[in-house]
Amino acid sequence: MLTDSIPKALSPLNLEKVAPGEYAKTGYHLEVTATPEQMPAVAQAMIKEGCFLESLTAVHTSKEAFTLVYHFANFYELCRTAVHASLPDGAEAPTISHIIPAADWYEREVYDLFGIKFAGHPNLKRLLLPEDADIHPLRKEFAAEGEVKAEAPQ
Amino acid sequence: MITQGIEEKTFWLNLGPQHPSTHGVLRILLEMDGEYIASAEPVIGYGHRAHEHMAENRNYHQFLPNMGRVDYLHALAYNHGYCMAVEKLIGVVVPERAEYIRVITNELNRLTSHLLWFGAYLMDLGAFTPFLYCFDDREHILDLLDQVTGSRLTYCYYRFGGVPKDIDDDFIFGTRAFIKRLRSRWVDYHNLVTKNVIFIHRAKGVGIFTKEQCQLYGITGPSLRGSGIPYDIRKSEPYSAYPLFDFEIPIGENGDIYDRYIVRLQEMEQSCRIIEQALDKLPNGPIMAEKVPKRIKPAVGEVYQAVETARGEFGTYIVSNGDIKPYRIKLRVPSFGNLSLMVESFKDNLVADVVAILGSIDVVIPEIDR
Repeated sequence: MLTDSIPKALSPLNLEKVAPGEYAKTGYHLEVTATPEQMPAVAQAMIKEGCFLESLTAVHTSKEAFTLVYHFANFYELCRTAVHASLPDGAEAPTISHIIPAADWYEREVYDLFGIKFAGHPNLKRLLLPEDADIHPLRKEFAAEGEVKAEAPQ
Repeated sequence: MITQGIEEKTFWLNLGPQHPSTHGVLRILLEMDGEYIASAEPVIGYGHRAHEHMAENRNYHQFLPNMGRVDYLHALAYNHGYCMAVEKLIGVVVPERAEYIRVITNELNRLTSHLLWFGAYLMDLGAFTPFLYCFDDREHILDLLDQVTGSRLTYCYYRFGGVPKDIDDDFIFGTRAFIKRLRSRWVDYHNLVTKNVIFIHRAKGVGIFTKEQCQLYGITGPSLRGSGIPYDIRKSEPYSAYPLFDFEIPIGENGDIYDRYIVRLQEMEQSCRIIEQALDKLPNGPIMAEKVPKRIKPAVGEVYQAVETARGEFGTYIVSNGDIKPYRIKLRVPSFGNLSLMVESFKDNLVADVVAILGSIDVVIPEIDR
């Protein structure tokens, strides 16, 4: 059972939270909270458990902080793990692209849309927007022309 | 093959963005060592429409039409994924008949997507006739879906809590007749293509994805199942009415182009089986849940919902802060992961195989660009 073996594999990393998720409500079997610095070790452990990276994204949670959200799933057993890692605005998160190549493009996308830099990424340049763009459109303070500005939470 | 002094020997070849076999606007920079590829770098984003940004600036209902435009070839699966995610968020239960209708229309849409891939891919490889055959078949499904959804391509048919329009006897009769017809066509398809020696030589042993690569790059869909991993959300994480039907997940052995081709063809037959069973068992009853709020204002929280599209796993990740607008929507699209493996799998292949490998993963570029 992955719902048992994943917490066991993550326990030496001293993560902030490793708890069963409310599957019917959120779609997660396991919810994990870590720091961005712990992510390479978490990614290593998840790959060892046979999981793959489903998605990697960020949420602009408050004026000063982002949350990086990593979703892991497994091909053979139903177990979705969501890892949340809070990151202050302006700080760099270590890359996990050397461990999980799929993260390469996801991290470039997060950099492109949020302006979050990933330390150690081999090719951190814009992915979806033009190379010479000077905006990060998924930050809450960004508003397109004629658009009502979405307010950042308190 | 690739030896010292690589800088002096290689040259760059630009493929796309305006190239018919890149299925959309994809540009690939190929570093060539003679006829062989030393490295490849896909350049994407030409069709970026900022769907995720749009989501943050409109309410849950208003974002629904966008979902038909992310992947226009299997639009109903995207409708389904998003509707299910919101239904989970607000706790609405969909009536049984609506679930059946969703499954039937979804599988019909999967058939159109696979049929289009079949025709377009073989045209990439230089065969023109299969294209005419499958577009003929596909046209029948488009007419059927047009009857119930009101559109031919960018469907916006599902609603939170069900579907807005019931299917009628005409549709049921037409679908049954179509499935009978499609089944009679498999023979032609196999005679034309599967047994074609030119196709076999181009497809067998080319563009192999190993199981390890699939895990590391997060490959999903038929491209993954061609490598022998039976991961299909319809079975692995059953949703909607899928657990009620008997169907198989076809898998390949070697993970080459030929296996991915066979998996897709077999999948079409499985879709026919699902549709037939759903039509046989179609229950009576309401098609919309009662008490779906007109103003959707979910509680603070987040949800992740995955569905199986024609190309793989589509995940909708919604974060709600209790407002009428979603706080953040992330669309996890299958082609994104599938295409990122190309960087790896083009290496040391012949330039002539680039189009063959690229087409075999069935990319839809606007889906990647979002």
